[in-house]
Amino acid sequence: MRDLFTAFKDNCGFGLLASIDNTPSHKNLEDAIISLSRMMHRGAVAADGKSGDGSGLLLSIPKKFFALELKKDGITLPEKYAVAMVFYKDESNLDIIQEICENNDLKVFYKREVPVDTDALGVQAIESLPKMVQLFVTPNSLIGTRRFDALIYLSRKEIEFKLENNNDFYIPSFSTEVISYKGLVMPTHIKHFYKDLSSTDFEISFCLFHQRFSTNTLPQWKLAQPFRTIAHNGEINSITANRFNVMAKAEDMKSDVFNDDEMSRLVNIIQSQMSDSASVDNFFEFLNVNGVDFFKAARAMFPAPWQNAPHMDADLRAFYEYTSTCFEPWDGPAAVSMTDGRYIGCVLDRNGLRPAKYIITKDNRILIASEYGVLDIDEDDIVEKGRLQSGEMIGIDLKYGKVLKSNDIDDYLKTKEPYGEWLNENMTYLQEHMDNPFSKVTEIPKGVLEAKQRYFNITHEVIDQVIEPMIKEGKESTASMGDDTPLAAFSNTQRNFSDFFKQKFAQVTNPPIDPIREKVVMSLNSGFGEIRNILNDDSNHAKRLKNSSPILSAENLEIILDFGNESDPKYEESYKAKMYNTSFGDSLENSLNILVENILKDIIDDGIRTVVLDDRILDSEVKIMPMLMVVGRVNQYLLENKVRHLATIIVSSGEVYDSHMAASMIAFGASAIYPYMLYKTVLKVTERKGVEVEIAPLLKKVRKALDSGLLKIMSKMGIATIASYRNSKLFDIIGLDKQIVNDCFDGAFSLLNGLGYSDIQERIELIHKNSYCDKIKNRIYPLNIGGFYKFLEGGEYHDYSPSVVHAIHRLSETGKKEDFDILKDLIENRDKKFIRDFFDLNSDKKSISLDEVEPKEAIFKRFVTAAMSLGSISPEAHECLAEAMNTIGGMSNSGEGGEDSARFNTIKNSKIKQIASGRFGVTPAYLRSADELQIKVAQGAKPGEGGQLPGHKVTKLIGRLRHTIPGVTLISPPPHHDIYSIEDLSQLIFDLKQVNPDATIAVKLVSTAGVGTIAAGVAKAYADKIIISGADGGTGAAPIGSVKFAGNPWELGLIEAHNALKANNLRGQVHLQTDGGLKTGLDVVKAAMFGAESYAFGTGALTVIGCKLLRICHLNRCTVGIATQEQRLREHYTGTVIKVINYFTLLANDVREILAHLGYKSIEDIVGRSDLLKVIDDEFAKKFNFENLIYRLDGVDTQQVKFNEPYDKNEFEIDVLKEAMSAIKKPSDPIIIHRDIANVNRSFGARISGEIAKYYGDKGLPENTIDIRLTGTAGQSLGAFLSNGVSIHIKGAGNDYIGKGMSGGRIVIASEKEGGDNYSLGGNTCLYGATGGKLYINGQVGERFAVRNSGAIAIVEGTGDHPCEYMTGGVIIILGKTGVNFGAGMTGGVAFVLDTEHEFIENINQGLVEARRIDTDGTDIERYYLKKLLKDYYKETNSKKAKDILDNFRISIRDFWLVRPKDMKMPLQIEDGE
Amino acid sequence: MQKFFELDRIDAKKRDVVERVKDYNEIYEVFRPLKAEEQAERCVQCGDPYCHNKCPLHNLIPQWLKSIASNDLELAFNLSNEPSPFPEVMGRICPHDRLCEGDCTLNDGHGAITIGSIETFISEDGFKNGLKPRFSDEKVGKKVAIIGAGPAGLSVATFLLREGVDVEIFDKQNRAGGLMTYGIPGFKLDKSIIARRVDFLKEAGAKFTQNCEVGKDISFKELEENYDAIFIGTGATKGRKSGLKGENAENCYLSMEFLTIIQKKLFNEECELQVNVKEKRVIVIGGGDTAMDCVRTSLREKARTVKCLYRRDSENMPGSKKEYINAKEEGVEFEFFSSPKSLVLNKKGEIKSINMIKTKLTNPDNSGRRKVEEIEGSEYNLKADIVIFALGFDSVEYPFFNENGIEVDKWGGVKVDKNYQTTKAGVYAGGDCHRGADLVVTAVYDGREAAKAIVESFR
Repeated sequence: MRDLFTAFKDNCGFGLLASIDNTPSHKNLEDAIISLSRMMHRGAVAADGKSGDGSGLLLSIPKKFFALELKKDGITLPEKYAVAMVFYKDESNLDIIQEICENNDLKVFYKREVPVDTDALGVQAIESLPKMVQLFVTPNSLIGTRRFDALIYLSRKEIEFKLENNNDFYIPSFSTEVISYKGLVMPTHIKHFYKDLSSTDFEISFCLFHQRFSTNTLPQWKLAQPFRTIAHNGEINSITANRFNVMAKAEDMKSDVFNDDEMSRLVNIIQSQMSDSASVDNFFEFLNVNGVDFFKAARAMFPAPWQNAPHMDADLRAFYEYTSTCFEPWDGPAAVSMTDGRYIGCVLDRNGLRPAKYIITKDNRILIASEYGVLDIDEDDIVEKGRLQSGEMIGIDLKYGKVLKSNDIDDYLKTKEPYGEWLNENMTYLQEHMDNPFSKVTEIPKGVLEAKQRYFNITHEVIDQVIEPMIKEGKESTASMGDDTPLAAFSNTQRNFSDFFKQKFAQVTNPPIDPIREKVVMSLNSGFGEIRNILNDDSNHAKRLKNSSPILSAENLEIILDFGNESDPKYEESYKAKMYNTSFGDSLENSLNILVENILKDIIDDGIRTVVLDDRILDSEVKIMPMLMVVGRVNQYLLENKVRHLATIIVSSGEVYDSHMAASMIAFGASAIYPYMLYKTVLKVTERKGVEVEIAPLLKKVRKALDSGLLKIMSKMGIATIASYRNSKLFDIIGLDKQIVNDCFDGAFSLLNGLGYSDIQERIELIHKNSYCDKIKNRIYPLNIGGFYKFLEGGEYHDYSPSVVHAIHRLSETGKKEDFDILKDLIENRDKKFIRDFFDLNSDKKSISLDEVEPKEAIFKRFVTAAMSLGSISPEAHECLAEAMNTIGGMSNSGEGGEDSARFNTIKNSKIKQIASGRFGVTPAYLRSADELQIKVAQGAKPGEGGQLPGHKVTKLIGRLRHTIPGVTLISPPPHHDIYSIEDLSQLIFDLKQVNPDATIAVKLVSTAGVGTIAAGVAKAYADKIIISGADGGTGAAPIGSVKFAGNPWELGLIEAHNALKANNLRGQVHLQTDGGLKTGLDVVKAAMFGAESYAFGTGALTVIGCKLLRICHLNRCTVGIATQEQRLREHYTGTVIKVINYFTLLANDVREILAHLGYKSIEDIVGRSDLLKVIDDEFAKKFNFENLIYRLDGVDTQQVKFNEPYDKNEFEIDVLKEAMSAIKKPSDPIIIHRDIANVNRSFGARISGEIAKYYGDKGLPENTIDIRLTGTAGQSLGAFLSNGVSIHIKGAGNDYIGKGMSGGRIVIASEKEGGDNYSLGGNTCLYGATGGKLYINGQVGERFAVRNSGAIAIVEGTGDHPCEYMTGGVIIILGKTGVNFGAGMTGGVAFVLDTEHEFIENINQGLVEARRIDTDGTDIERYYLKKLLKDYYKETNSKKAKDILDNFRISIRDFWLVRPKDMKMPLQIEDGE
Repeated sequence: MQKFFELDRIDAKKRDVVERVKDYNEIYEVFRPLKAEEQAERCVQCGDPYCHNKCPLHNLIPQWLKSIASNDLELAFNLSNEPSPFPEVMGRICPHDRLCEGDCTLNDGHGAITIGSIETFISEDGFKNGLKPRFSDEKVGKKVAIIGAGPAGLSVATFLLREGVDVEIFDKQNRAGGLMTYGIPGFKLDKSIIARRVDFLKEAGAKFTQNCEVGKDISFKELEENYDAIFIGTGATKGRKSGLKGENAENCYLSMEFLTIIQKKLFNEECELQVNVKEKRVIVIGGGDTAMDCVRTSLREKARTVKCLYRRDSENMPGSKKEYINAKEEGVEFEFFSSPKSLVLNKKGEIKSINMIKTKLTNPDNSGRRKVEEIEGSEYNLKADIVIFALGFDSVEYPFFNENGIEVDKWGGVKVDKNYQTTKAGVYAGGDCHRGADLVVTAVYDGREAAKAIVESFR
């Protein structure tokens, strides 16, 4: 775990600038540096303004400059030379370079010290500053250009390998075409630091530039970007899988460029200890050097989503499908710019999660950057102002001086080879060989089915809770409340091996995907067969068996086996198959070793290519190994022996009955799974009911459920394709020992150490005995009943058992200490169920008297109730908690869903206001009413997932608070659409600090290995408070597997976060809070010692007000009137303020007693004092590494500042606000303010709006009271949370997040220049969560326009993909093209789309919305409403397009579509357009 | 499920009160399938199934409720019969309102699920549809002697037979069933219900030796010699006395005495004692379920008046609420807050009246209990022809206990370890003889757990 304290992730701002015709100039360099420095807010900046996380430039070699420099030493540069930029500390390193170069027929003919000025550096950068030298190298003999480049690469790889352990040594670039100038220096100081860059002779034709935001504060010189070929903004979520796969592919690669001997010297294609971006660079460079086409390599690693794109060009699809046999996507948010010297490219990930905007100018230059406005360019000089859309690529051919657009590149790639033909001839879809899939279930050879069901833990409960819902609904069942059971390692009951594995999920540095609404980018398409030489293009690669899902039917498996069976006519050598049973004898470990040895031998000697691992052999005599263990071991062993690329692993197992189990097998190497026990159980359940039912449709439904479960698990990690998920190892393993992890699951995070082979064997033997013993053969009901999901006497331990619930009810009723003691008894004697139970208090002081301890009032301040929205709980419960917490001086949390403004400034005001992904009811007044604003990045019960409030729960009140119409289903997306990366979070925090400068900004994370890294990043993004939630947190509704298998206990996350913050010297900047099943004083005290300063109570607080843990919150049938909006049930609500006060009083007093006993006077004194804990003296505890958890780092343990102040003080708007104050004070005197604005002026309008809301609430000011006229390109979040009465007119452009959360007022963006289809004036995710106001943009905008809009009216002239996603209200008019997936999850509002090209219909996500024409009699209201809005739009923007439409209204109206949700049939409700 | 929101709780239908007091037939009708399904659908299917938790047997209540709601009778039957030896009996006689139904999530204003009635329905409908409890086909070759054919004895027999262990039951009564046959009147539990279960056991190989008292008709030694283990389930049949002078009068009965006499009479079995309450004033003292059985039996025996005297109020009665209501409906008069002071005898030594005193409840003490206090000067007199004391029971200490080293605790209960083994190895005990008077369901639980322990000892 200690490694995690200093681990890191990074995101950033990036871009490139190039002369399209390859003309070098010094201006190119200067402009690139200006552009980079104007994105400083996207990186991290320390207080000195000098220390950052690194920035850099990758430049074409400044030939003129070097010629002059070398001339000074009398050296004339040869025609052909390369320059190595070298960071080092040890002089002898240079000798090694020399030596290896010579071995490779290269000559180092000149060494140049790189002149630097260290004044430009911060303290830390100076401390780690390496020496820098440029080595000039030429070929030593007559060898071709191509060979020269190859030898340079070969030499560099050999040097790197030789000096692998030398952390100070690094070669930023070694190339004939490019050179890197990078380091731990701020963009503004880079020129100052690298003196070369000031020379006007330093002329370059292109530059890739990058500024890094690392989550840690221990950045390294070598991690600054760009790397040798790329600069990357984003995070590769599938990086573990990609790295694994590169190793597998490299096992047997043939290159035209390197001979076999040289190839064998190119060990470690991927450099270890580097970032995900560095790995992208490594692989991309490797492909390039080996002659893989530049564009092919780019699109192979970052393909457009082709699998579910029926309208994609057939040849292009063939290209992608063919390429997918060798390459899986490097998946995750990514904007990557790349170059090989001849070409420059920039590619965007399939989901458009990073911004990339380009400008082509009259002087034939192109600038691509994360933002517009990074360089001041006269509008007249701009030829084109565009942006990359999801999955698009743009390229520049420097040789021919051409810009290649996405379709140019596609056309080039798809026609290179006859891919379609190759696929037709070689690729086989299993479906082709099947008449009626799922018409049968293969027989299980022998033995009693029920015994097998018992063995595989298919209990009555599993059938009832997991399997039957899949049969009925075709999807995973929904559960509510949290998980209150122990980890598998601590359990005394039968558990599945996959229970040791906890799903990973994306938070902050990368976003999850919505697997339902954005399914278009996702795919489970699975291929089987060996992987051939990926450096070649030939028809052989297409030889694959394919299936649309990794979940196989009996027929699927049969066909795979047929193809691998020598006596079958379908047989092909490359699919030769063999089944291996996974039984074990006396020793699990030995049997495992023998099995993998056999498999290896068969692959090498017998040409086995399809390895089928099968556990059907289980019976009363034969035990089997955990399949997941076998898969992991085989996967790893084959890689270690360099044959992984040859074999496909297929699993036939009884161990899989839910998507978690399936996902874990796939993540550790399985290509496909045949879950025979699941099928058999379905059959049995169906048969037993005695009705004649066709089984095939049911099994199909079950597979569909597993498929969507897999998509959900992948999407949690932001991975879109199963190919990128396979081998990803994206699980935390809790409670298995090092040996098992090293043997089988290397690469996954492993926590706590724990059970070894013999322990697991013991458990299996017990399960086997219990499943087959005589004891149960005579049962009337043969299955085990369960108890894992719901309490069952004799089943798994539940911390909220009936007796605990009764005890809590009683003590909150009476407020008596004796009753609290009953609870304490129950909890404190539960015996080693949760991590904290393995620690005893161990004070270093004598006890003191209770009077000396701080009063309970001081402790109350540290108690908060967890976020629960009005909607998830009833108004009675919501208000009760607020009033109670306010009364004692704690805080309650509004949850996501707004709050009645009547409660603001009263005892019923929730002091914490939550900002979640749905942004429901997030208005300026809401934000202004809070003491704390909590950004919910993840939720314990279902991290990485969204949620929805079904329409029937949306009452009149809830509808009003959420700014929607009652009865409309409200969807919260999995990600915050304005947080795809750490710099995005930083931006949102900045937004919130503007609108409410008095509030603490908190970020809620969920415990997982790596959360410390995230926490450090969040602290650097200027959050004031970080919440580490336990995975056991409650919920109103979540998929049952998410409640159980995603995320870790809070203890692990808290300890990691606390220490990571300390290791990075950030602990003093932020407050830490935790939650997760806390009940007694001892829980609180232990949480404090682990590092938490405050404590949240969710389920506990609900229990106090009457919750009985019924786990039916999602049904709106809560019998105690808490989790329901049903009036009749709300009458049964029995919670009171007094009960809540009783509980917290008893709890605080319990804490005080423990403190007195420990001899400490306050909680403050014990926070982070893990030395006051000791591991219990217990044999079982010794199996685990608990000591590690109380390892204590030096440094402060609590927050030392009131606010974590951002570097950017927003002086720009504060100055505007001063001027605007007169109008705020006296609205009857409107004011007009003129200013110039630039992209560094972010969140403009939020500060003024917050000030207005402070006095006037959401009513704001009369229209146009403050009229702000701006010129230039505004920074991100223009007009965020805009209040009524403020108008912002911009001559110029905006960036991402325009009108985020706007509540009123208007934003008008119009360029001097007439826009058109290639002119963008706004970025991504505009109007996210807007509740009102108007936005007019006379140009294009980016992806996800008007996402989750619930009230704003907007007109733009074109959008990117996913427009109007999750929209619940408002009116959107688009006078131009839209991207795909229009209206996904749109449950309210309307959109008018002008569709002159007749292609719009294809772009609609037909799930919830429909499009209608508006040139009929019945639509005159809509028609003239549109006209009225267009008139207003024209008046404000002078749009030519609007004028054309208005001038020809009768004709142009025919090209309009009206899009609205299918289930909203009432006529359009025209709001007052003005 | 979760239909509680749409549907109210409906109890099983009772027979018309005028009709039902004319005979000893059960007063409740068994649910019809649709009604049972509907009522089962009301179940919340809680995350914390309080019913299951509260049930001493930990019956799989939510599970079978869901099965029956989805019209899966066989599944419900199996689930219901798995942990319980005779669910259709427990469905009739368990004090559900204090156990499962009392702790039901919905019992806070919504109306608890009619668990008992549905439990009865499941087995009755199951039998009707040909379902039967399963016993082991294979015998393990062990034999257990069971002393007493009451709830504990029949339970242990059931669970041993399921494991293939042979059993022989020695019972001193004429018919098997113990309290369930002789103590609980037919209007609550029809005598054929127990007989049916006994028949199942016989079919499965159980041997019943009736009219055989251990220590009298057969020696304990003999059992020891011939069986691999012995289970004692002799119950707690010794009625508690009031300690009042004159309580041994001829017209004064202990409740169990009274109920047994009547039942034997109904069976046409011989009985030493006789009783005739016809046209008499019957006074029953006590507020438990047995008291209710006595008053209602007296009504059926055509008493002139039947009065029940209890020193607390109806809220604090220890028995089942529904039994109180049934008794009231049938015409029993209740006098609460009254306690007997002394019995007034005539010269023949017969009780003629009772001197009573009014009582009140004190404020709750620390444990929440409210004690009874007499109100000074509130004495009064009540005329009586027959007086029946229903004040509870104690275990009967049979001589063979002591003779064989089977120790009892200070209340006379047989001492057992956690495996239900008595102080004599190989001899097990459970039910009221160990606990003192308790519920049928706890005796049944003991029987089940003891059976498990016995089987385990054979492995």
